Amino acid sequence: MEEVPGLAIDRETAFDHEGHIKRITLGMARKMLEAAVRYSVEVVGFPCSIAVVDAAGAVIAVHRADGAPPGTVDIAIEKAWSAMVMGMPTLMLGRFIDPRVAATVPLGTHGIGIANRHRGRLCAIHGGIPIREVGTSLGLDVIGGIGTSGCPSADDDNTVSQAGFSALYD
Amino acid sequence: MDITLDTARDMISAAMGEAQRIGNACSIAIVDENGWLVAAERMEDALIPALDMARDKAWTAFAFKMPSSEIGRFGNPSAANAGFNTANWNDRLTTIGGGLPIKEGDSVVGGVGVSGGTIEEDVAVCEAAIRAMATPRPV
Repeated sequence: MEEVPGLAIDRETAFDHEGHIKRITLGMARKMLEAAVRYSVEVVGFPCSIAVVDAAGAVIAVHRADGAPPGTVDIAIEKAWSAMVMGMPTLMLGRFIDPRVAATVPLGTHGIGIANRHRGRLCAIHGGIPIREVGTSLGLDVIGGIGTSGCPSADDDNTVSQAGFSALYD
Repeated sequence: MDITLDTARDMISAAMGEAQRIGNACSIAIVDENGWLVAAERMEDALIPALDMARDKAWTAFAFKMPSSEIGRFGNPSAANAGFNTANWNDRLTTIGGGLPIKEGDSVVGGVGVSGGTIEEDVAVCEAAIRAMATPRPV
């Protein structure tokens, strides 16, 4: 990984005593984005925009691969943000607001109400995934999110996001 | 020369080196020859709104082909060219200094925006980024 000059990762605050990630640093975000951009261009074949947000929902870094449409930047940010704040892949949000799916699940159609929440910022397009890590609370803490936009198929967007997510643990 | 993602990443790395030297935690954004964002990154401990501000500064500097600190004089009633009203513009426009256009000869090929310190410090970080663009990438 290419080191940002003079920018050391503070291991004390980034990892807990068991080696679990507590927060996503810029170095980690760069590693994820580099892998995801390469994956999108070389494997999927469509240049994408990819964004990584932290547990505050704030963008740590966003990269637009050469040739990716300019409008994909903000959609990637929205996907990463939506996955983070809801703690679930944006695929799930898409399922919630799909009336065909909602009609078949026992919970009913109330999930449709999440459409356009958060002043329209909540994005229900497949392609954003939350980043979870073993935390102090029960279950897993959401420490961030990664989102991709730019592939004609949202499934491919999700694959690119997962490639970036995997790179976090390389 | 187009601003590719690789170029932008090198520029951001160089800018962060300069920011580290000054002792600021900055956000840096690079826009391309059409004003669209290529890459934006936020350093450790940089303030959260700084990333959006850096992005706005980069776009403003690109669009007006001048440092974003100079936009302010448009709105100054005592200046000769008064009448510039930011409220009539899109929400990307900013009059805060810290954005520089990236020029090649007379043409503007992009913009860089930095947020995180005083205007002078931000401009110094911008200049570090532009210097890095002029430097060929080590093979």
